[in-house]
Amino acid sequence: MRAIDAGILICAECHELNRQEAGTDEQVCTRCGALVHERSPNSVVRTWALLITAAILYIPANLLPIMTVSSLGKGAPSTIMAGVIELVHYGMFPIAAVVFIASILVPTFKLVGIGLLLFSVQRRQPLSARQRIWMYRFIEFIGRWSMLDIFVIAILVAVVNFGRLASIEANLGAIAFASVVILTMLAAVTFDPRLIWDNTESDDDHD
Amino acid sequence: MPDPVDASRLSELPLENLLACHECDLLMRKPELANGEKALCPRCGYELYTHRHNVVQRSLALVIAALLLFVPANFLPIMQLNLLGQTSHDTVWSGVVALFDTGMQSVSVIVFLCSMAIPLLKLLCQLLVLLSIRFDIGRSYGLLLYRIYHHLRDWGMLEVYLMGVLVAIVKLADMAAITVGIGLVCFIGLLLVQVWLEVVMAPHQIWLALSGEDAHAGD
Repeated sequence: MRAIDAGILICAECHELNRQEAGTDEQVCTRCGALVHERSPNSVVRTWALLITAAILYIPANLLPIMTVSSLGKGAPSTIMAGVIELVHYGMFPIAAVVFIASILVPTFKLVGIGLLLFSVQRRQPLSARQRIWMYRFIEFIGRWSMLDIFVIAILVAVVNFGRLASIEANLGAIAFASVVILTMLAAVTFDPRLIWDNTESDDDHD
Repeated sequence: MPDPVDASRLSELPLENLLACHECDLLMRKPELANGEKALCPRCGYELYTHRHNVVQRSLALVIAALLLFVPANFLPIMQLNLLGQTSHDTVWSGVVALFDTGMQSVSVIVFLCSMAIPLLKLLCQLLVLLSIRFDIGRSYGLLLYRIYHHLRDWGMLEVYLMGVLVAIVKLADMAAITVGIGLVCFIGLLLVQVWLEVVMAPHQIWLALSGEDAHAGD
């Protein structure tokens, strides 16, 4: 049985149970004072909005250079993918793999994954509840790791600072990429995981 | 294991005897936990809560350790780069400043928030919450601060930053001579203490202690 069927609301912030009061739109948690809702309001719409914005920014994030390495007056702008390829050329496969996963695979997987979650919550079709919750947890856990490239740029810009001899500066692609990461993280926050279980047929499909 | 059966009578039980999964909304009877045990949701596997001993004291010690490490971790050099006789230092703070100065203000603000401001705010929130429980003062502010802490949680990214340091070191390795600085040691220390703190400071017990429902949480 779901808490919602018993007229019980879970506080999203402190997880305290609250009996649903009849006729109030804005009920607050008896323990921590946060607003309590049956389900996060407009969760699906908000998540879609954030996801679509992220998907649009995903294009400049990958096509525009994220940083320019200049040495002896010659500048070489590089995109995210070019950075990975460069690491492969140097033979540093483990680090190249980490950067490739964090900067290319994870953002792509997140965009597709959140889209699939929303689609399957709205249409019931493609995934079982177990697959959906697995996907949700994976996305929630992995999201922050995409900031890796942004931090690398911050460190490189600070440390490679030798004037004309060698210097590194960040470019527009970095802004787009950071925005994609933040928007997809926000999308994971606005998505209410309880929706995943709401349209599963039986209550007892646990072990 | 929590017991999800006999649905009809479940909703009539008093709220104190009930427990609902935050991630899938399954309603259950509340299980009694001994120290070190944890309750998992039988349907989706979410960790409902754990019970640990000495939560407040141990967390306080860890928070204070983390705060002491915070300044050296962020302002002492993480690495030094030597290129044809010129040296440059890198600290977490200098990365923020360098981005800001080269016209990438927005990225600079994001780096500042994720690697410095939010980790610090999280620690300060935790410190004040624990003090409020320990000395039994300002519980309502404690509740508010603990709510803020939960909103900030995902946005502090120390471990990602550390991985960024490693990637940067590898990228620079054959361009110039690198020496690792004391700042990196402090940074790793800060990260370890903070992860340990998140494990020790069981949210369920802190919420109970803040609302005065659990007299033993402070033990």
